[in-house]
Amino acid sequence: MKNRLKVLRAERDWSQADLADRLEVSRQTINALETGKYDPSLPLAFKIARLFGQPIEAIFDDGEA
Amino acid sequence: MTTSALKRGPTPVRLALAAAGMVVGGGLGWAIGRLVKHGGLDLSGAGWSDLAAGTIAAMLLATGLMVGLASFNARIAGRMMDPASDRPARPAQTVFYRQQGVVMALAGVMLAAPVAARLLWAPLPAALAQAVMAGIVALFLLQTLLNLTVWMRADEMMRRMIAESGSVCFWVLQGALFLWAAAEKLDLAPALSAWDLMTILMGVYLVVSSVLSVRRGFS
Repeated sequence: MKNRLKVLRAERDWSQADLADRLEVSRQTINALETGKYDPSLPLAFKIARLFGQPIEAIFDDGEA
Repeated sequence: MTTSALKRGPTPVRLALAAAGMVVGGGLGWAIGRLVKHGGLDLSGAGWSDLAAGTIAAMLLATGLMVGLASFNARIAGRMMDPASDRPARPAQTVFYRQQGVVMALAGVMLAAPVAARLLWAPLPAALAQAVMAGIVALFLLQTLLNLTVWMRADEMMRRMIAESGSVCFWVLQGALFLWAAAEKLDLAPALSAWDLMTILMGVYLVVSSVLSVRRGFS
């Protein structure tokens, strides 16, 4: 699944480790999310959406729309 | 730190870890070789699964010790957990890392104990066998507790990798076990012992979990 995590993170000048701390996951999880190697659970997707103040579908794209 | 930083290839830390692994592995191999050569360890009675289990145990023990020792230094632990970052590990991360090291080391000790007991004492006295078994059960309970703690403290991707490793191993091994059992029933394949099966399970689990970890960006 594609996502805009890297862009949103860069806009805030956060490192992967900074974002990992804010989401309480490992830095490797952030890297796997950004590179599309891992799709987050629904709770984590909501947490990401709340952190960036955007709806989930504005961050994640399943390619179906 | 960015994704591109992760794609630069081997970092000095990775190379240092690989070198440390080679030194530890080489040293262990040399020591075992010396023991065998000078009659301290007779491997003539060891089956293929004993040798494989011993090798896996040595790998687990060496890795567990390396991880466990590294966890006492926040900077080294930080680099080992994340070679692309120079941030020292936080206290909670070092404890988590240490727990993983202890889990690996305990797995190595438990795996090596029955094989070592049989090789060092032949024939193995019943009282000693019972003492070794009691020790293994105690370590097993401790390791189970630590494993549960690691599971509870892990983030969701790590939990998913653990669960996926278990699923893949189950589907691969139940198929392989069925085919082998059928062949054995038809007198087309030799019988396997519980130890043989356990060694295969451990080996397959380590390979599967390593592959899944690398696919998710752990290396």
